[in-house]
Amino acid sequence: MIAILSPIAAIALALAISAILLLASGYSPARAYSVMWNGAFGDLRTFSEVLIKATPLILIGSGLAVAFRCSIWNIGAEGQFYAGAVGATLMGILVTSLPPALMVPLVLLVGMAFGTLWGMLAGYLRVRFNASEIVTTIMLNYIAIVGTSYLVTGPMIDPAGGKYPQTARIVEAAVLPRFLPPTRLHIGFIIALLMAFLLYLVIFKTSIGYAIRAVGINPEAARYAGIHVERNILLAMAISGGTAGLAGAIEIAGISFRLYQQISPGYGFEGIAVALLANNHPLGVIASGILFGALRSGAEVMQISAKVPSVLVFVIQGLVILCVVAFGLYRTHSYRALRAEKERG
Amino acid sequence: MDIAGLALFIQTILSATWRLATPMIYASVGEVFTERSGVLNIGLEGFMLLGAFAGFAATFFTNDLALGILSAIACGLLFGLLFAFFTVTIKANQIVVGAAFNLIGLGLTGFLYRAWFINKAQGIKAFGPINIPVLGQIPFLGPILFQHNILVYSTVALVLLAGFVLYKTAFGLAVRSVGEHPSAADTAGLSVTIIRYAGVLIGTTLTALGGAYLTLAHTNQFVEGITTGRGFIALAVVVFGRWSPAGAFWASLLFGLFYALQLRLQAIANITIPYQLLQALPYAMTLLTLILMRGRAISPKALGTPYQKSA
Amino acid sequence: MKQRVLLYVFTVLLLTAMLVACAGQPVTPTPAPQEKPFKVGLLLPGSANDQGWNQIAYDAFKRIEKELGAEMSYVELEQSPASFEKAFRDFASQGYQMILGHGFEFQDPALAVAKDYPNTFFFISSSRIFAGNVIGLNTDSSQPFYLMGVIAAKMGKGAGLVGGMEIPPISEAFTGFINGARSVDPNFPVSVTYIGNFTDAAAAKEAALSMIAQGADFVIPNADVAGLGVYQAVAETGPHIATFGAFGDFTDKAPQNVVGNYIADYGQGIINMAKAIKEGTFKPTSNVEFGLKDKDVMWLTFNDKAARPVPEDVRKLVEEVTAKIAAGEINTLAPVQ
Repeated sequence: MIAILSPIAAIALALAISAILLLASGYSPARAYSVMWNGAFGDLRTFSEVLIKATPLILIGSGLAVAFRCSIWNIGAEGQFYAGAVGATLMGILVTSLPPALMVPLVLLVGMAFGTLWGMLAGYLRVRFNASEIVTTIMLNYIAIVGTSYLVTGPMIDPAGGKYPQTARIVEAAVLPRFLPPTRLHIGFIIALLMAFLLYLVIFKTSIGYAIRAVGINPEAARYAGIHVERNILLAMAISGGTAGLAGAIEIAGISFRLYQQISPGYGFEGIAVALLANNHPLGVIASGILFGALRSGAEVMQISAKVPSVLVFVIQGLVILCVVAFGLYRTHSYRALRAEKERG
Repeated sequence: MDIAGLALFIQTILSATWRLATPMIYASVGEVFTERSGVLNIGLEGFMLLGAFAGFAATFFTNDLALGILSAIACGLLFGLLFAFFTVTIKANQIVVGAAFNLIGLGLTGFLYRAWFINKAQGIKAFGPINIPVLGQIPFLGPILFQHNILVYSTVALVLLAGFVLYKTAFGLAVRSVGEHPSAADTAGLSVTIIRYAGVLIGTTLTALGGAYLTLAHTNQFVEGITTGRGFIALAVVVFGRWSPAGAFWASLLFGLFYALQLRLQAIANITIPYQLLQALPYAMTLLTLILMRGRAISPKALGTPYQKSA
Repeated sequence: MKQRVLLYVFTVLLLTAMLVACAGQPVTPTPAPQEKPFKVGLLLPGSANDQGWNQIAYDAFKRIEKELGAEMSYVELEQSPASFEKAFRDFASQGYQMILGHGFEFQDPALAVAKDYPNTFFFISSSRIFAGNVIGLNTDSSQPFYLMGVIAAKMGKGAGLVGGMEIPPISEAFTGFINGARSVDPNFPVSVTYIGNFTDAAAAKEAALSMIAQGADFVIPNADVAGLGVYQAVAETGPHIATFGAFGDFTDKAPQNVVGNYIADYGQGIINMAKAIKEGTFKPTSNVEFGLKDKDVMWLTFNDKAARPVPEDVRKLVEEVTAKIAAGEINTLAPVQ
């Protein structure tokens, strides 16, 4: 009961504090919030947009939940998202003669593979060179973003696009089917739900998940129990990188249909908050992902209709996290891995 | 390129280096204290933005740079207290709290900037460069070392002071021992809580000052997102500098050098490297260095672990 | 445990207070619409008060609001493709008749939405599209920058251009500048640096300083709000360095150094279209290209109080060149040699 009540109370508290900020700046919180609510849940279209925004957050968040359970602090989902988007776009442009039944899986799997590799690179640096994944994933974020900028202004630029920094449009066969016309809700959302459920099973119902969690709680004890710590660290990075890559591929095949310099509005960083808000539980991530999607989506309508700057949503998101923390959902859970590794040598 | 041209080229890059490194020096030297006390603050980007905004807003409304600096310090202390309350008192996960402060820093500064400054985005009168007599006239070295503003010069004092405090004073010893063996420090009668609060506050305050440097000295404006990732780079700098103030100082300068080099090389017409490659250089170099330092990048033992008094 | 209970109590109290506060607010009844209000919406890829790209559109729409009594609303979207199409729909579904997506990246989403709202006009900045109710509005900045290039080559020793990101509105302007400078002096040195974003004013400043140190005495930004760093760099260096205001009047940023301003009045360009839409008489036949031929949309001003004001003979030359560009005799976008 507490587990469900706490987040709700935390969200309410965060909105209350933001209301003070709104009042102090001369806006009406009641109007802002009601418009925001309508902008997110007003009708089928707006709600479908919430789910569209939630899709990458659920995917990234559920993958990061696995990594965080392993005490692997992957801050690099943003870069892995970009890597996935690049991989998916490459397939969508280069492979032109496959039917949709093959093309869609190909695009998504290649995107996922790109994200996995980008994630595992940081995992490898951690395992092989003892390089903190916090630092390496941040660096790899920048490299992926700058690299994407290079690709869409150089080698991958749309030959028919008049020098605009964007790639050509992916082939029609690669486009994700939509299942709720006239909305643009696409099967990517279903995939995200399935992935969250799958990761829930993996992490809580299989021996693989047990090993990952054991490493997260105490790597030394895990090693003593015969668990291969390094392999699990790599696995955690591969899973979280793969889901972020998949999210990038879905963004390309479901929403934007071509690659731009800035394909992500910070999904990778938001996904960190989404995972942590759900206490690193993949099923909880579905709820927190939809919440964050609704906040973002609602905030845009809030700016249109109530003229409140949409950046406020970041304040609300940050406060939601702090309030959840204040309600004591997280207690001592952290860097034991780093510490133990240190003691090892 | 002839010798004079080459000298000018090097001089241009090096004189920009220190200015570009200054915000990172402030933030990373501060974060060294935070991490040495056992707390990891990944919210530096947010704190830097808060400091940049607080400093700018105060100076804008009062026309007083000193008040701007004070305001940035107050902002760093205030939000730092909040951060410390969550990470040290409540013992919350430090990554979680840091991530929240990044969001809050970005959102709050963006929101208030729109609310207070829409359509009146004037600049302020910023700290100007101080050309040190005689020394500033030395050819080559003058522009590199002796023609900067006060906040740039102050980084030298900062790093010397920080090194002294961390290694030569009882307080520094306390910080280091709390970060390595909190239980032993506790047994020895030190208050882990108080010392970690101090470590956090030193970090957030200096980071806020680093942000204020951007709006009060390096430029004279607040721009949304003006930090452009410098807070994250500062985190890397701490590791790069191996958790010592001097290391952070030199590592920041190295990043500043890459930054300056990148901006300068682009402008040379007959070098046609994609500018993105140059932009990726600092990040790639950090990775390479981490690989080369393998194993020697030893973090404080208790880093990231809240201290739980054993019953 | 006790602490947690206290927190709950606190929250409940706060929420109750909020509810009471909200309920206490007078509900303003929506007045029955006498006639359909004219509503115009704006999608911005950045901050409305960036004193650059986004601000010219914001100012233009403010003008429509004021002069035509329109209901104006805007939304600041980050570079988030998922939000673009949605934002168009958010506006269109609320009955907005004129919507501007301020950047080429809004083109695809506008096309996707436009067919569902045939009575709404979708405008796209820096785009050359024309497809029914989707209309590109291209502002050819290469033309005023060509003029700046002419002036720089006539007056200076070298020029530096500081760009935000390498996108056509910026790279084309720089092409124009180089072409203009080379038309005067084929060996006039021009260097170009992109800082890679539109926020890092400090980097823009350093890029400008390094260009100055290498001998450039004309340094011009095209990087939105980050470009302010360039004005600061030239002002600090001294009155012998010249610059131009881009997209607006930046004279007060560096009064000694700004020798002229390229003013873009987007509002002037679109107000007549907005008026026609309001009156229901708008029948577009092609996309819209703004250039120096549209004298009230973009023009160059000179600052007589600058330390090095543009001399009379150069102004005369600029006038001639302007006429040639307006007449289509000079291609400012010709490939740079």
